[in-house]
Amino acid sequence: MISLNVNGNNYNVDVDPATPLLWVLRDVLGLTGTKYGCGIEVCGACTVMIDGQREPSCVFDVSSAIGKKVVTIEGLSADRSHPVQKAWIKHQVPQCGYCQSGMIMACAAAMKAGHFGNEILSEMNHICICGTYSRIKDAVGEL
Amino acid sequence: MTTYTSVPPTAEINATLATHKLNRRGFLKFSANGLALAFALPLIGRTDEANAALSSQDLANSYIHVSPNGTITLAFGGAEMGQGSMSGLAQIMAEELMVDWTQISVMQALANTVVSYTTGGSSAVSRRYTTLRTAGAAARELLVAAAMQETGDSNRDNFKADNAKIIYLPDTQIWWEYGELASAAAGMTLPNDLRLTNPANFRLIGKPLPRVDIPAKVDGSAKFGIDIFLPGMVFAAIKHCPTIGGTLTSTPVKPAGALAVVACTASNTRGNVIAGSKNAVAVVASNSWLAFKLAKRLSVNWTLPATTADVDSTQLLAYAQAKLVSSAALVAEPLPPTTFTPQSFAPVLEADVANTMGVPTIDATYTAPYLAHATMEVLNCTVNIMYAGDTPVSCEIWAPTQSATTVATNAALLTLLPATAITVHTTFLGGGLGRKIEQDYIWQAIQVAMAVRKPVKLTWMREEDFSHDQYRPMALTRVRAKLAGGKIQAWSYRTLSQSITAQRGRLTAGSVDSQAVEGAVHLPYTLGKYLVEWVPLDAGIPVGYWRSVGASINSFAVESMMDELATAAGIDPFTFRYNHLGNGDPRAMAVLQAADLLSSSWRKQLPAGHAWGVAIAQAFGTWVCEVVEISQPSASSLRVHRVDCVVDCGTVINPGSVEAQMQGGILHALNATLWGEATFKAGVATKLNFNNSRVMRLGEMPAVRVQIMPSTNAPSGIGEPGVPPLAPALANAYARLGGIRIRKLPFFPNATMGGL
Repeated sequence: MISLNVNGNNYNVDVDPATPLLWVLRDVLGLTGTKYGCGIEVCGACTVMIDGQREPSCVFDVSSAIGKKVVTIEGLSADRSHPVQKAWIKHQVPQCGYCQSGMIMACAAAMKAGHFGNEILSEMNHICICGTYSRIKDAVGEL
Repeated sequence: MTTYTSVPPTAEINATLATHKLNRRGFLKFSANGLALAFALPLIGRTDEANAALSSQDLANSYIHVSPNGTITLAFGGAEMGQGSMSGLAQIMAEELMVDWTQISVMQALANTVVSYTTGGSSAVSRRYTTLRTAGAAARELLVAAAMQETGDSNRDNFKADNAKIIYLPDTQIWWEYGELASAAAGMTLPNDLRLTNPANFRLIGKPLPRVDIPAKVDGSAKFGIDIFLPGMVFAAIKHCPTIGGTLTSTPVKPAGALAVVACTASNTRGNVIAGSKNAVAVVASNSWLAFKLAKRLSVNWTLPATTADVDSTQLLAYAQAKLVSSAALVAEPLPPTTFTPQSFAPVLEADVANTMGVPTIDATYTAPYLAHATMEVLNCTVNIMYAGDTPVSCEIWAPTQSATTVATNAALLTLLPATAITVHTTFLGGGLGRKIEQDYIWQAIQVAMAVRKPVKLTWMREEDFSHDQYRPMALTRVRAKLAGGKIQAWSYRTLSQSITAQRGRLTAGSVDSQAVEGAVHLPYTLGKYLVEWVPLDAGIPVGYWRSVGASINSFAVESMMDELATAAGIDPFTFRYNHLGNGDPRAMAVLQAADLLSSSWRKQLPAGHAWGVAIAQAFGTWVCEVVEISQPSASSLRVHRVDCVVDCGTVINPGSVEAQMQGGILHALNATLWGEATFKAGVATKLNFNNSRVMRLGEMPAVRVQIMPSTNAPSGIGEPGVPPLAPALANAYARLGGIRIRKLPFFPNATMGGL
């Protein structure tokens, strides 16, 4: 059994300790907001916060999350009230939406670290195929 | 807030839709806890796709429902893959129904074989505009008719529909909420005059209203196909034969930790079995990651094809280059006069053009590579088949698909169930780009579900997605042109590519695949004596519809050549195009002039080491002109500083969505132009993930400005037309920067990208 703290809740999961956190979140805990994109920490779709730091969960062994606080897109706010979520809605950022959880979590982590503007953008250098980059820049610009 | 719902307003609606035909005016009106008005949104966006439309036009695929408690729902069978179709359709309906944007909810209809259509060809909103306006107006007039019955006043001018109410104008204290009239409206006769709104009075069409699907996409609650979970579900990963055309020698032994191993028969893209072709194995496990791990390690014996020369990049390119020069071509344009057959016309036309051409001013061959789609959400499909003993009794499918209708048809083929026992749920699509119109992943998931008899979700690893795509075809295009006095006197255009249509068995032998010459025909330019030809390439690489299909290939050749000719003539690229537009197409001229004006101030004061380039193209009825600014910090890189984009897509439904689609088309084309190529060595795809298929990251995105031309013309597509002009605009800028003309894409082959 592996004990996890995700979005403030404690869970005990019975999985191979080498299982990437991404697949424990998705297939065991049902937190599907975190996405599989490349599996090799290149695209950023699987980004979550671990102890406040952005982390690609597709290559993060679940056993390494023991004793740490994991926050996923579902735990960012209860009502889309986080400033990043509000800015994303205001600027109508998502298109297909698939990469957006990772984008939003990286942005929220950068804000939490006290960063602004281009500093934030440099820390969310993820892949989006739809081309939401233009509006992400607009949204981050007012955070 | 307009809301997205996945819960149908009543359970009986779909059963009625499946069994009742539309009336002569195209409606099916019935009572179902209020008013249900069903209609058929056009099934497809392009005539060549006719075979994709397997359902009958006389059955409904969409409906408007008004419940007695006032809930108004639009249900439609198409796909929302980021292009904003869900909102665009709702906006059109709400306009004519005279309701506010906040008073409706939208759902993707549950699809059996009748309640769906294919989303492709940039048609999701534009080609359904008139039908949806008419349906919205019809629902409104039925509600008015119910109010007339209540008052006994049959003068239509005494009633006004406004804000989800019918108001009685002789006494405005008398009014009804739509919900109050819904049940009675279902019994009314539809009047002949549906009183379509004068576009000058539109309240919602043309406004940048907030999209319905966006809130769910900022909190993780939007359900994509990959997010579907069912009780008791098992998880499958697919492993294809790495060599294209290879087949399974024997089903491998189930590895420790797996629940099952299932050999999967390949299908062609429309669901027909490729005889004897088992080309993949699915490994079933208790979670996706375990299935991935076991599939990667699985040892499989494959029977390889006798030759892989037709699926090897180097050999295939050499073959295509020879064939471009030596093979007989088919004439795509101009069409033969009635006195000629196509066969007898070709040599006469060729001689005529050659006579004027003499020695061409420029003779250039442009090469576009095979390209993968790489949608952010990998291919996946969830299937639940219920059995009574050994007999399947129902089949339910959840899929990110651009063609739920074809999914349902394939499910019927495989399970032998009647259409009424099959349900398809179209989930949100994490990108479609043309890839999710195909059926390979659906076909596999159904086979696995039939083998394991449990609910199953099949997911493709990213490496399978890159290596078993249905790629944009490679194309080689030779263009020869003659200039005299700054004007084009002769234009000979010959493009060679694999036909997507032929690979699906739907191209008549000896005829031109119209998609292969999209962007090369119906040009707005005056070209003197001209000839457009196509040479089919026989090759074994699976090809498919990649955002904008032929237009992205041919616009690169056409607009690069226009620029080369402008340079040869010593004329400014805008002016050279103006000189050749003549009176041919006022829309093209207006778009070009607007882009000229939009970009003129920055083009006049470019910093040293910067250059600009322009290109214009039409796709799916929409004109787009793009002007780019670039610089080159090092030999292996290019900085794209800005893209100015002007678009004429006719009547605009939602300018916010148009802007987003232009931004998206530009990015997609930047990726393809700079780095995109699928390569094959001895039948095996060599690029398997984003690390060796570089795409642009957020920090590199140029500043994009989008200007939309005001128009009262019919709406045309926006999903794809942003793509075609970008590659030639970039090549044209590059030639101005350092004098080097890029005629073979991508700019930077074999580019890699590091981790985050």
